[in-house]
Amino acid sequence: MVLKKLGLCIMFVFVLILAGCWDNKDINHRTMPVVLGITKNQEEYKLFLQVPQAARGQVRTTIVRETGSTINQIIDKMSANLESNVDLLHAKVIIVDRSLAEEGMKDLISGFMRSRDVPSKALMVISQNDIEDLFTALENQEHSEETVLLDFFEKNAGWNPQIPITRVWHVYHSIHSYTKDVSIAMISKGEESLCEFVGGAVIKNGKMVDMIDSDETLLYNAFNDESNQGKIEVMNEGSVMILGNRMNHDSKIVNGRPYFHSELRLNVMVLETKEDASREEIRKALTALLLERYDKMFSKIQLSEADILGIGQYFRKELSREKLKNWRSKYYPKLVFTQDIKINIQNEGNLRMPADEGS
Amino acid sequence: MSSLLGSLKDKLSDSDDFFVIEEEFNQTKFEIIGVRSLVDLAKSLELIEKHVTTATLMHKGVLDYLISNGKKISKEHEIITAVLEGELILVFEDCENFVVSLEPIRVSLSRPVEQPTNGSVLQGPLNSFNEERLVNIGILRKRLVSDQLRVKDFLIGKRQKKNVSISYDAKSVNKKLLQKTIELLENGSEIELQSIQDLMKVLKLSPWSAVGRIHATEIPQQAASCLVKGKVVVFIDGFPFAYILPSTFWDIFILENDKNFPMPITVSIRVLRLIGVMIALIAPGLYVALVAVNPEVLRIELALSIAQSRNGVPYPALVEIILMLVILELIVEASIRLPQSIGPTITMVGGIILGQAAVEAKLVSNLLIIVLAATTIANATVIGYQNLITIRMLKYTILILASIFGVLGIMAGVFLICGYFASINTLGVPYLNMDFSKGDINSG
Repeated sequence: MVLKKLGLCIMFVFVLILAGCWDNKDINHRTMPVVLGITKNQEEYKLFLQVPQAARGQVRTTIVRETGSTINQIIDKMSANLESNVDLLHAKVIIVDRSLAEEGMKDLISGFMRSRDVPSKALMVISQNDIEDLFTALENQEHSEETVLLDFFEKNAGWNPQIPITRVWHVYHSIHSYTKDVSIAMISKGEESLCEFVGGAVIKNGKMVDMIDSDETLLYNAFNDESNQGKIEVMNEGSVMILGNRMNHDSKIVNGRPYFHSELRLNVMVLETKEDASREEIRKALTALLLERYDKMFSKIQLSEADILGIGQYFRKELSREKLKNWRSKYYPKLVFTQDIKINIQNEGNLRMPADEGS
Repeated sequence: MSSLLGSLKDKLSDSDDFFVIEEEFNQTKFEIIGVRSLVDLAKSLELIEKHVTTATLMHKGVLDYLISNGKKISKEHEIITAVLEGELILVFEDCENFVVSLEPIRVSLSRPVEQPTNGSVLQGPLNSFNEERLVNIGILRKRLVSDQLRVKDFLIGKRQKKNVSISYDAKSVNKKLLQKTIELLENGSEIELQSIQDLMKVLKLSPWSAVGRIHATEIPQQAASCLVKGKVVVFIDGFPFAYILPSTFWDIFILENDKNFPMPITVSIRVLRLIGVMIALIAPGLYVALVAVNPEVLRIELALSIAQSRNGVPYPALVEIILMLVILELIVEASIRLPQSIGPTITMVGGIILGQAAVEAKLVSNLLIIVLAATTIANATVIGYQNLITIRMLKYTILILASIFGVLGIMAGVFLICGYFASINTLGVPYLNMDFSKGDINSG
């Protein structure tokens, strides 16, 4: 009995020693970068970290720059030079240079997933212009909030329904998937605000192959069941606000040719009308507007063979894995895409529609 | 006869309050033995005189009359116990070995029934179990007027005899529990009963249990409801509590007095206690886990403000929190030991001055003070001081595990504690027993 108790005590001490708590670092001894910027100069990576630092009751942003041949080497160098340990676990936004995105981010993303230092839920962003400029602007911004870039993508802060939210693991997934590509939000340094949303980059196999504009990214988000609530659409007949969206898909293969039909249901609220446009007119105009956008976007992405809508996913029950391997090159360009849009005017604002006046 | 008297004198005459008085009424010679500190001598003599006069008036034998008013005993150790318990012993010289013990008029040593002092009752009955065992049983009888209420007395102790009574509801009591309790109390009569640990020894319960196995309550309402639910209540001489056997998990949260409010209030009070226990157990561990091991769980804004408030704190989070927790425990212990008049001073010095100074001196962070305050306040929602100490102790398990494994450690700690609770078994009743709390009649 005594021996047993002694054994338990010794085991407990071993647990204490071996459990790995010796390398715990308190939160104030960690440098917690919020934004990671990556660019490539020939063979060298250049890394920017935006680090919020508390000093005298205020939080100030500092930018740390370092170059090296791999990301981990750079982090290591930075850690050595900084007074506290660089802890990438808090990195929320990863900004990649456009040239690097076009060159391919396969190694970069694999490195993130492998090292486990960077959270796989960090947001990916592509910077339209030179990343150096962006970070300099971040540094020099007066009264800069430490999380300004993060807030840009926060659903409860600065996010808008047309901005695609794509995380590291989405990109990793798309690199290794036969049937799904992603679109990454692209920003550029704005004149007034720190950054401006310019559209979505179409990423295929980790490489940026094309670009879609912000109206098209809205459709991309709708397709991914990201809520479009609050987005305002302007037509000739007036403007409406989207209150809710739902999608239904239908897929089939006829004679080896894939057919895809999707139905979008929109609940909208009428905000403005011009020249007594009736419900029906508004409905028609909005449908036409959206259909045109869908057509334009779809032909664009079909041409670049990047399936950012993930339509291939719906054919997994019809096509074998062997055949799916060729989805992008063989089936996707032949795909017939039809779109139905059903618009429900849920709310007419505080006024009644002119057409209903007689009834 | 004189041999008995002699040996009694031998054994007791060392105490100066022991007395032997020779008396003679109506040619009956006897000696009165007693202890002056327990017996009001003058009044008692008057009482005996009255008894004898009444006996002669009624033409009855004096001896018979006295026996009918007291009880006849013969064994020497019984006589000694009776003397020490404050009874009067009459030893008749004429009749060999004839000793009568008589209930005298006692010196008043007990206080009136008072309010509970260890826990306050809100809008409920305000009387509490006082020191006297018989008074306690009386209060219980008053509370629970039922022909099913049974009381059984035991005499426990080798040198110091102590009276222990158990009471139970004959209809609803858990029969196995009752049988086991009676058996253990009968067998354990050699053990000196000075404390609850001794009682636990008698009942063969492990003294190393972190959880109170015997639930002490001052409140008659609580004891009465436990009786109805099938538990056994133990009263010990000189202990102003009713000890409820066995104590179960829900005793931490459920007070009978809650039912004096409307049901939604009752439920919310109990939920509040549950939340209190969770906060008291987890909050310190969570602080250490989030600050030292898993800061990535925090939102970035929160992480930054915590980092800012910890700037310049020299110790790691674990050392920091243990430092303050120990001081806090000291404050709690000190305010119990000290006279009530000094208590508020300690609270003020400990809480306000020390807390503020520790933050100002950058010994600990602001957030830690909040966590500590929340822990202590939440801890106090638990019912019963024993349970409070249990929760106070168990939180260190979670704290240590959290400092090693972070948030995962908290999970493991809660799991361990649940496992520990589940492993406890008191006199055949599991600690996590639900039957008692529901008030089901458990006929074994």
